[in-house]
Amino acid sequence: MTAQITSGLISLLLAGAILYMVRRDHLHGSYALWWLAVAGAILVLGVFPPVIDWLGRVTGISYAPVLPITIGIGMILMRLLKMDVDRSRRERQIRRLTQKLAILEDELRELRHDAGNATQQGAAEMPRTAARR
Amino acid sequence: MAIQPLAAATLPISSPRKPLLAVIPARNEGGTVVEVIYGVMNAIEGDVLVVSDASDDDTARLAREAGARVIELPCRLGAWGATQTGMRYARRHGYRLVLTLDADGQHHAHELPALVAEQRRSRANVVIGTCSERLSAAKRVAWRYFHLLTGIGVQDFTSGLRVYDRRAIRVLASPQASLFDYQDLGVLMLLRRKGLTLHETPATMSPRRQGGSRVFSSWLMVARYMLHTTVLCFAQFETRRRRMRRIERAA
Repeated sequence: MTAQITSGLISLLLAGAILYMVRRDHLHGSYALWWLAVAGAILVLGVFPPVIDWLGRVTGISYAPVLPITIGIGMILMRLLKMDVDRSRRERQIRRLTQKLAILEDELRELRHDAGNATQQGAAEMPRTAARR
Repeated sequence: MAIQPLAAATLPISSPRKPLLAVIPARNEGGTVVEVIYGVMNAIEGDVLVVSDASDDDTARLAREAGARVIELPCRLGAWGATQTGMRYARRHGYRLVLTLDADGQHHAHELPALVAEQRRSRANVVIGTCSERLSAAKRVAWRYFHLLTGIGVQDFTSGLRVYDRRAIRVLASPQASLFDYQDLGVLMLLRRKGLTLHETPATMSPRRQGGSRVFSSWLMVARYMLHTTVLCFAQFETRRRRMRRIERAA
């Protein structure tokens, strides 16, 4: 087995898993696009490793294999940062929703209370109006 | 049944300007909350709102029976999350002033009128009731440090005894204020950034009957709090000149 076949297999497996998840609709909008791009990059680099050497020559890096690793880690860090930003946004949304829910629950309680009083009053007044008729 | 006009249907609450709402955030304060509510009701003219922060005990029921309006949060949001719920309630119902105080009975109800009067007199957007005798060594150190860092001259920045006016309520009800955890420096920094004025007035406080200070319970907590708030300062940092320029632009 040559190195190219090994890396090709690994990349196929990874890209396949990603494509499967995207196809199954497990990823939301922009995430799916991001992961499709990742799957594409993995496929190209895995199946055609010479691309890495070419990239190394273009960028002037003598030890080319370090290039995808560096870029990869950089992108993972970016992704993690983006995740925390998203989580903070979500936290804000959840807090506000919780507050709104509680406020509306209070209003509902009051409306129900008022409605309850009104029907009680209505029931009490009913015999009188019936008698008047 | 006649179809109601749209305005009446979308605005279920008649909202003439109401004067004052006392917001009492409470988490498992069943032992003291009733006394606090009665104290507030006797001391000042206004409505009382207890925000139960997902209490496990009967805080909400007791408060309701005592005659307060009660909002129950379905999951725990922390002291500020509960207080902000009160801010949003006040904004929704058109209150002119919000008074916040703790549910553990450490604030004296008979001092509330003076605090509200102080707000009228000073015309500050926020009035903070400060108990200078209560300031512990840890708090003093923290205060020096944060004063250096932010330039905010408020002594008791964790005091829960505060009066907010309409402008302050609007700022604090906004999503921008939703990620704070305590009613402390983060809140004050946001208010100052919006160009609102802060004013401090002395108040007496009794020691807590139940539990300790949430923030200053141990030195480790203090360290954590200091670090957390330092990061907050960094996020909110703005030079004095830039702030003045921004306020001028807004005005």
